[in-house]
Amino acid sequence: MRYVKIKGDKIYEFLERLKNYGKLYAPVKISEKFYDRKEIDDVGEIAFDYQRTIMPAKKYFIPPCEEMFEIDMEENEYREKLEEVEPFVIFGMHACEIVALRILDGVYLNEYPDIYYERRRKAGIIIGLSCLPDEYCFCNLRRTDFVDIGFDLFLHELPDGYLARVGSPKGHKIVDENPDIFEEVRQEDIDAFRAFEEKRQEMFKFKGNFDNIRYILELTMQDKLWDEESEKCLGCGNCTMTCPTCRCYDVQDIPEIGGKKGKRIRFWDSCQFRSHGLVAGGHNFRETKRDRFLNRYICKNSYFYPLGTSYCVGCGNCTYFCPANIDFQENLMKIRGREVIHE
Amino acid sequence: MNNMNNMNNVYSLYKCRVLRVYDLTEEEKLFLFRFEDAEIAETWTFTPGQFVQLTITGLGEVPISICSSPMRRGFFELCIKKAGRVTDKIHELQPGDVVGVRGPYGNGFPVQEFEEKDLLLIACGIGMAPLRSVFMYAIDNRWKFGNITVINSAKTGKRLLFRKELEAMRDVAEAENIRIIQTITRDPDWPGRVGRAQEHIKYANTSPENAYVCVCGPPQAYHDIFTKLIENGYNPRNIYVTLERRMKCGVGKCGHCIAGSSTFLKYICIDGPVFGYYDIISTPGLI
Repeated sequence: MRYVKIKGDKIYEFLERLKNYGKLYAPVKISEKFYDRKEIDDVGEIAFDYQRTIMPAKKYFIPPCEEMFEIDMEENEYREKLEEVEPFVIFGMHACEIVALRILDGVYLNEYPDIYYERRRKAGIIIGLSCLPDEYCFCNLRRTDFVDIGFDLFLHELPDGYLARVGSPKGHKIVDENPDIFEEVRQEDIDAFRAFEEKRQEMFKFKGNFDNIRYILELTMQDKLWDEESEKCLGCGNCTMTCPTCRCYDVQDIPEIGGKKGKRIRFWDSCQFRSHGLVAGGHNFRETKRDRFLNRYICKNSYFYPLGTSYCVGCGNCTYFCPANIDFQENLMKIRGREVIHE
Repeated sequence: MNNMNNMNNVYSLYKCRVLRVYDLTEEEKLFLFRFEDAEIAETWTFTPGQFVQLTITGLGEVPISICSSPMRRGFFELCIKKAGRVTDKIHELQPGDVVGVRGPYGNGFPVQEFEEKDLLLIACGIGMAPLRSVFMYAIDNRWKFGNITVINSAKTGKRLLFRKELEAMRDVAEAENIRIIQTITRDPDWPGRVGRAQEHIKYANTSPENAYVCVCGPPQAYHDIFTKLIENGYNPRNIYVTLERRMKCGVGKCGHCIAGSSTFLKYICIDGPVFGYYDIISTPGLI
């Protein structure tokens, strides 16, 4: 892998230059507690120390609502809506979110590639950024705390700048075209990188891994924990909307007033909604709230073969944004037989 | 819908014209379709057990199993139950009307593996629709298969799918070692066989050690059928079922058909809808 360094005083210039490669999206602070990714005009706004955004980066690849086809009712035609996708740069993606994007790739670019997703994915440049975990993070248990591929550049924080790993031809191009921004990595940078990684590992709430959780979960599906926890659940679907790998969508045909035109749209759906498991004739495969609650645990903890990880990347969003304070990580720990002590 | 769109878009629809409509029961009709594009019509094919996504313009899309034989090129048949907003509208279709179709999707029954073996098909209610495709395929390739039995069951005689078609061929079929058993569970006026499908497994002409079994019915019926099959000596490895979900995309994206447990999570649309017996019994949540 190619490594380069960005000096601290050049980082804003670097961000400014990124705009030459496309629209720049980066995390900004939007309220006292929350961050979100937005299109950036003033690079001074960018929050480097953000932990999580209210909407995961999937929104740039699978918009919350999009028009797939324009319907011509008179001609009986469905004309596809494929607008030009302008190049864009997402700055500041954490390791877990990059793995999440690769999971979405596995689903959306399988043997039936989704052209809407594919076009956006090809237009996007991913700049990763290192992070330190808070109490909600458990990417270490998921083995998604460090990424090897899936980014164009990945920036690791150093005391006096950033160590950048170059992960793609697009990344090489950025480095080659901006020689004044990048410099060679020195021995003290390597030491600092090592120290940062070491410190980061120390900070995780739980140590170990979650490799066996899917088996334990399958064996404990009757556990009363699921009754108790699902009782607290409001069924709002916040957990799935903020999940970087949740990708369920629903499709609807919406006729326009007048009845001559219409559109086929798709929009984010959630397995926490009652309508999700409904089939023709009224049978529901996930009839109760417990079924739906447990379904998310099953889905997230199951194995995604192409990547060798689970569908959950351990970002902690579902817990952080849960209005009922349901702790996903803690519930899994309890199911695993670990005693959870509250401080 | 033809040629208007990028051919790489998996969600693009192709126009199909309704050729004929047959009333099967009060709730089910059989529709004969042909693709408008002559080339697609002649080349389009599928495996028994696969499904298509059918669109009524402006109303929406529904997944429907194909119920005709892939050997008969140029047209295909769908048996559709009136069960919701879109299917209600489908029932109003007349010959000449146009709908949008994409597919076929899913893994059908492994019909090549069935060759040279006996074939037992067990259908409960609407489950006859996908199994009719297997049955018709087997008839079209009669020399490739051993003895064949179809057990078609429903609550009442009026609700028995393809009743007349199967009745009409029964005697001829018997001479060809094809046995047709139609049974009814809740109809005092029914003159023929009564009882649930599994109670008639023992009357099949298939030899248990040499047969493949395809089952389709409501989720609650499977366990009893499995038990009876195994009691009668059928090999669990040779039992296949086809499952139902409300697929929105058909291509493993939308997540509506995700089912199973954390060690075996499947998209029914691309990993199924046909699953083997051992997948079913080792995975809570599939049926």
